Amino acid sequence: MARPKLRLLTIFVLTALLLALGTAVLAQDEPVELRVVWWGSQSRHDRTIEVIEMYEAQNPNVDIVYEFANFTDYWTLVNTQAAGGDLACVMQHDYAYLAEWAERGLLQPLDPYVEQGIIDLSNVDESFIAGGRVDGLLYGLSLGSNSQAIILDVDKFEEAGVDLPDPQWTWADFEAIARELHDALGIYAYGSPSLGDDQIWTSLILAHGTNPFNEDNTGFGYDDDGPIIEHFKMLLRLQEDGVIMSLEEMAQSAEGPENSPIVTGDAAMQYQWSNQVVAITSAAGEGRNFRLWHMPRPEGGRPANYLKPSMFFSIPTNCEHGEIAADFINFFTNDLEANEVLFAERGVPISSEVREHLRPMLDAIGQETFDFLERVSADSSPIFPPNPPGYNDIRNNVWLPLFHDPVLYGQISVEEGVALFRAEAEAILSQN
Amino acid sequence: MTEPAAAVPASGAEQVALQSRGLARRKSKDFKRNNLVGYLFISPWLIGFFLFALVPILMSLWLAFTNFDLLSGRGEFIGLANFERMFFQDIRYGRSLSATFKYVAFSVPLRLIFALAVAMLLNTKRRGVYWFRAAYYIPSIIGGSVAVAVMWRQLFGSQGVINAITALVGFEPVNWLGNPQTAIWTLILLAVWQFGSPMLIFLAGLRQIPSEMYEAAEIDGASSWAKFRHVTLPLLTPIIFFNLIMQLISGFKVFTQAFVVTSGGPLDTTLFYTLYVYGRAFSNFQMGYAAAMSWILLLIIAVLTAIAFRLSDRWVFYETKEG
Repeated sequence: MARPKLRLLTIFVLTALLLALGTAVLAQDEPVELRVVWWGSQSRHDRTIEVIEMYEAQNPNVDIVYEFANFTDYWTLVNTQAAGGDLACVMQHDYAYLAEWAERGLLQPLDPYVEQGIIDLSNVDESFIAGGRVDGLLYGLSLGSNSQAIILDVDKFEEAGVDLPDPQWTWADFEAIARELHDALGIYAYGSPSLGDDQIWTSLILAHGTNPFNEDNTGFGYDDDGPIIEHFKMLLRLQEDGVIMSLEEMAQSAEGPENSPIVTGDAAMQYQWSNQVVAITSAAGEGRNFRLWHMPRPEGGRPANYLKPSMFFSIPTNCEHGEIAADFINFFTNDLEANEVLFAERGVPISSEVREHLRPMLDAIGQETFDFLERVSADSSPIFPPNPPGYNDIRNNVWLPLFHDPVLYGQISVEEGVALFRAEAEAILSQN
Repeated sequence: MTEPAAAVPASGAEQVALQSRGLARRKSKDFKRNNLVGYLFISPWLIGFFLFALVPILMSLWLAFTNFDLLSGRGEFIGLANFERMFFQDIRYGRSLSATFKYVAFSVPLRLIFALAVAMLLNTKRRGVYWFRAAYYIPSIIGGSVAVAVMWRQLFGSQGVINAITALVGFEPVNWLGNPQTAIWTLILLAVWQFGSPMLIFLAGLRQIPSEMYEAAEIDGASSWAKFRHVTLPLLTPIIFFNLIMQLISGFKVFTQAFVVTSGGPLDTTLFYTLYVYGRAFSNFQMGYAAAMSWILLLIIAVLTAIAFRLSDRWVFYETKEG
């Protein structure tokens, strides 16, 4: 009875050994598998996949496996992967989460790769990559620069006989111009998305001269809620008079750039990050005349605009092929041909050489975006530090459901809402 | 399978006794071996259950007492803090409870009534009735799907079919999904529309009712309402009870429809319990808190089911219990 068992065991062990040996031998010839993940629109998926194929053609030993999703699904995906310790070697990252991830030890600093010359930043100005630093270390390399903008439909302005605003316009100017547009055309001067979203809140605070959060992220960086109250009172006035789309109507309208009011011609202005303008203009089709404008600033305040890295590529700690990942990121950043394909879809490229190379090929809206970012870089506030841990919680469970929505639905007063917001948000921040 | 008879010469009572004892011993051995085979057969399920159900369940029980963070994969034991926060601090938790209870309170009875009504209609011997049965069951096959939820969103959108129809009759377009008063009703309506599975069970129940009962009632001159009230309904109460429990449980677990159609809005009026759990777990990564909320949901469902069983003595009629 014992002997067959022993024989079986021997066979088993031998097979296992052989298999292990086999894979070890194979591994030397097998190409390195590099996983890349990103979020975005169809256009981004197509461009990115093409660049991945270009990289593979130049590096036959690297086999790139990729995954992509829309923004919401993407974070579900990578969070699940993070929990399982199975993140892709090259992952797209967002300014809102970068610091949180870096502080939790999920990402590698990229500085060693820069020092080794794998990532070449000789054509990159520090201001473009500063947003990727957490405590001085570079955890994400910006894939493009961005700023908040108001898209103006110039044809609608002409039709209404309203002059384009001053580049340094204020929210009071915005209100006056919006009313003029609405009175002249009978359409919404402004459609969606909400002019009260959390990123308008932070830029509003920035324009008033302080950072939204204090240095150790344990509370707000400002004491006066006046600017927020004033802003929301203006939104309520405009909403009530039908000058801007109400939140209730926004909740109802269909999603996607092709349904946004400025594209359908139901509104003359739209707030958007500059890198999303391409999606809006291509949804709008030929023959539209859009321009990008600074965000309105407070009377006598600083610019509400700041230069933000639109997204990063980061290398997670669990990645075993850091150098190959870094080489891929370098290719993405500096290769001229690759950038012809990517075509600033992720924001204005950080390499000056790439920018100069692309400029003559740009269409009208591309040139407008490049010009806009140059105007912003000349007239902007310094970017505030990445959002603190718990920002997500504040946005999803406090700003929107306890303040923004009830106020714009007219359920509670602005003062009441803002007091509740401060109390609840500071309770979350105090845990940092 | 029967045992092969042991080849033993039959001679004397003693031998017979010995033989039967031996047989008994062998039988118990075979019984064990048979059990082993049985366990082997169900082992895929058992492994699946232990690995993918029991372990996660126990883990979530542990998580409920921690502040486990999905992003970093770390958490500390924090005692009852999650529950304290849920009941005393979290404003949205109260909102999600009231949205869920409202949804269950309306969608479950309405769906049962609708299912029973359609089952009665289809419990006839008319031509084509099989076709209708299949047709009415289809919404519940596809009803839970994302595609139908997307369609629902379109139907009730501001440019949707529903507003187009009401406009024909001269009504102003209504913001069905954007209005905090109406949004939850679009979801209740969607739930009622998916009446197929309780309907099939009702149908089976209706066919169980002996036709003599109806004949007897007819001889007594009962109207069709009286037949329904005094024959159909009492004999159907066990089925109604079963459907009630099943629908109650699934009602509390509603997720997909609200996730796609309203995403919990407007003003959290459709922030159903599971939607909120999902948001806490996967948008805010507070897995500990989400696990604690899930266990409270389990408790709520268990308590309500227990109450339903306790109350069932008063109205559910079992034919076998008393003549």
